[in-house]
Amino acid sequence: MNGFTFTSFLTSNIDIDKNVLDELIQKCKHVTIAKNNFLLRQGEICKSAFFVEQGLLRQFSIDEKGKEHILQFAPESWFVTDRESVYFNQPSNYFIQALEDSTLLQIDENFILSLAEQNKSFLAFNNKLLHNHIRYLQKRITQLLSATAEERYLDFIKIYPDILLRVPQAMVASYLGITPESLSRVRKELAGKNFKK
Amino acid sequence: MATKNVEKIIAPATPHYVGDGFRVHNFIPGNEQRLSMQRMSPFIMLDYNSKFYFPPSKTPRGVGVHPHRGFETVTIAYKGKVAHHDSGGGGGVISEGDVQWMTAASGVLHKEYHEEVFSRKGGDFQVVQLWVNLPAKDKMSQPKYQAIENKNIHRYHVENNGGEIEVIAGQYKDVKGSATTFTPLHLFNAKLNKGAKTSFSFPENYNTALLVIEGNIIINAAEKVATDHLALFENKGESFTIEATENAFVLILSGEPIHETIAAHGPFVMNTQAEILQAFNDYNQGKFGYLED
Repeated sequence: MNGFTFTSFLTSNIDIDKNVLDELIQKCKHVTIAKNNFLLRQGEICKSAFFVEQGLLRQFSIDEKGKEHILQFAPESWFVTDRESVYFNQPSNYFIQALEDSTLLQIDENFILSLAEQNKSFLAFNNKLLHNHIRYLQKRITQLLSATAEERYLDFIKIYPDILLRVPQAMVASYLGITPESLSRVRKELAGKNFKK
Repeated sequence: MATKNVEKIIAPATPHYVGDGFRVHNFIPGNEQRLSMQRMSPFIMLDYNSKFYFPPSKTPRGVGVHPHRGFETVTIAYKGKVAHHDSGGGGGVISEGDVQWMTAASGVLHKEYHEEVFSRKGGDFQVVQLWVNLPAKDKMSQPKYQAIENKNIHRYHVENNGGEIEVIAGQYKDVKGSATTFTPLHLFNAKLNKGAKTSFSFPENYNTALLVIEGNIIINAAEKVATDHLALFENKGESFTIEATENAFVLILSGEPIHETIAAHGPFVMNTQAEILQAFNDYNQGKFGYLED
């Protein structure tokens, strides 16, 4: 939850000399973005991934009726990007927006390539990250197809322990694919079970 | 007794909104130039809504449902009225001059708004919210309220019709405070008439500060402190004097520091990071109860 630098993220996951890494990271851009501003808008081509050192972002789409659907929140130590747009060079279907004043590291393809050259274990780690991402997406699809509102909520608070206190409830409901009223009902029922005066 | 001197005088920071009803200058903990939780322990947060006119509003402005754990919140209303409700079914109104001492301890879920009638009429609003840390052994104790109406606050009458000192907690001369506290501390509202001079004495190691709510004062016949400014005292010497150069209203706080680790995140102030994660989990799972926004 507290700021975790990209350097610490990598050194805690791959065996790499911090000096070598610092030199590479210097080529990445540190970005600060104020609350409510956008890093990506629907129709633009996404060029980078962002690692959140401090703050909170969301990735969302807007449907034909103008309704927002949140695909992902990205608090500290999370990555956010539109892989489809970056990899296939296609206009994005998503918006990426800051929900708090945030500090990010902008990571582009060249950085990944240089890091892979310098460090063999990075490729395996990057591969693991990608598979982990796919695992997360699969689970999310299955839940949206078959889980109850309570099951979705209980999984959400495991993945995002502090988001409920950082964003409006309606955004959490949007992520879960339920109405704000259903979210209130789920939380009220849980409190009924767990609250001891 | 040695004189306690002013270490620095701090001007109010640019105000920011807490919810849409509290326009506050943060003094503790704030940024580096200001006061860390450790420097002012046991007072770990001080937000000051300096006198500000809120126009009439049909929907009361305020702060929606949020939890607290690990400390106490002290709300002092100087102008306007604050209404509050909590997940335990409690609620009430803090009117001008009243103090609400809420021990959040193991956990409270509440919301705070401008009281409805005040909100509809609009008016000047001036409030202090102070967080008082709890020692590790009391952080998970039972939540409780001390709703202290102004008329019940114990008072010391300053000589020669100089005004009065409301002893909210602790002790001033022979007057004991109205609120009970978990660790030794003093909290006073000094209402001083123009020209009145009073003296205060606190142990050297107690972290001590004062906030000028109204008027202008001179400390130790040397340091002028203007309205809305905070004076931080050194942890040397015990006694200081305040002279009101015009009718003045001063909040005085002094407390024995709690020398324990602090892990603070948003509305939770605990001793370790693991306890913070536990607080988030408990909140998410409804262990703080439920309250409609």
